[in-house]
Amino acid sequence: MNLSDSKKKLALAGIVCGLVAACLAYFGNPANMAFCIACFIRDTAGALGFHSAENVQYVRPEVIGLVLGAFLASVVTKEYRSTAGSSPMVRFVLGMILVIGSLVFLGCPLRMIIRMSAGDLNAWVALIGFVLGVGTGVFALKKGFSLGRAHTANRMNGIVLPILLAGVLVLAMAALLKSSESGPGSMHAPVLMSLAGGLIFGAFAQKARMCFAGSIRDVVLMKNFDLLTVIGGLFVVMLVFNIATGKFIPAFDTPGVIAHSEHLWNILGMYSVGFAAVLAGGCPLRQLILAGQGSSDSAVTVIGMFAGAGLAHNLGLAASGTAADAATGEIVAGSVPLNGKIAVIICIAVCFVIAFLNKRTEGK
Amino acid sequence: MRKKELKLVVTFHTTADAMAMEKACREQAVPGRLIPVPRSVSAGCGLAWCAPLEERARLSEMMQKIHIGEEGLFECVL
Repeated sequence: MNLSDSKKKLALAGIVCGLVAACLAYFGNPANMAFCIACFIRDTAGALGFHSAENVQYVRPEVIGLVLGAFLASVVTKEYRSTAGSSPMVRFVLGMILVIGSLVFLGCPLRMIIRMSAGDLNAWVALIGFVLGVGTGVFALKKGFSLGRAHTANRMNGIVLPILLAGVLVLAMAALLKSSESGPGSMHAPVLMSLAGGLIFGAFAQKARMCFAGSIRDVVLMKNFDLLTVIGGLFVVMLVFNIATGKFIPAFDTPGVIAHSEHLWNILGMYSVGFAAVLAGGCPLRQLILAGQGSSDSAVTVIGMFAGAGLAHNLGLAASGTAADAATGEIVAGSVPLNGKIAVIICIAVCFVIAFLNKRTEGK
Repeated sequence: MRKKELKLVVTFHTTADAMAMEKACREQAVPGRLIPVPRSVSAGCGLAWCAPLEERARLSEMMQKIHIGEEGLFECVL
């Protein structure tokens, strides 16, 4: 089925992905975090022992399903291509930045949209940073930024990440990995439902080329709204779901939704994510999809995201969400730690260095 | 709304090549525009150059001149 020959079909793909996210939220995923790539990679990294934050350790089958779904969809439709060799170490660093910026904001671009659909005004503020970040990336592209071309690689290269993640799922099913007993890591939909959701989301995202950074890049660069239509479909479904379930609360300081109201850091966190995503050729979701359809460069970016998630908690970079005190009921505002603020500044500086020191070389 | 017709679509190995192509075409007054790579052509999400069919020879000549290697050359209804 060709999902991209009309805007209606692209919107349909977004609607299907939105329905998956809504189902997962309804059946147990944390409030306002129905489907978040950065959070889920952070949880999976915790389950594997990359960090020791006990309340965010759980192998999220959604992440594994996304990669396997994209892999299967690309194999079935003969689009699987094993490629590699486009500045892998730079991409590793960009992967780290994608997750560190996301964990300062408390969500990847996908969760930003989901939070926006729940009325979280902090996410609308962060959108400003994300758009500016993408805009800066587009400016770098216009100035000749390039990480060089990828080349066709041995078929096995592209299959490594899907196999590794399938192995992680097996270990998790055998209860050999860490699993949170409280906090966001303990809140999840049933495993098989999460896996099925990931597979469906991954297949549709592969077919529709869903990408949050790419959608804005295309609008800025070419006034093309195709990819934005996919995001629009997802947003509408989540908006209806949140209104129908009474979860639509237009406010800044909503306790329990894992968000904070430090506006500058919401903006800068997502600025770094938007910037890094354009340089890496896709948002965190898109990196998983590209890795599934055979790109070893994106697989390295995904490994970078795991490393970034580990660092974010080991070095105290991740923000905390606004919450109600269990004893007094008083609202305790979420915040970004000093280390997180320093990290975001460093991430943005590194993005500028990468953007303006990696130039296209004629004929290469 | 643009009328759909058969067009020449050039895809590139990198986004930077597509941007260089746009710059060169603007300078040489070669007609065409940047578009997202058509989904029927690739599962990737890069950029492509879309031009009238009759510009094929001029485009090839210019790409040789500025050292841009095409990834593929397609005819698509756009």
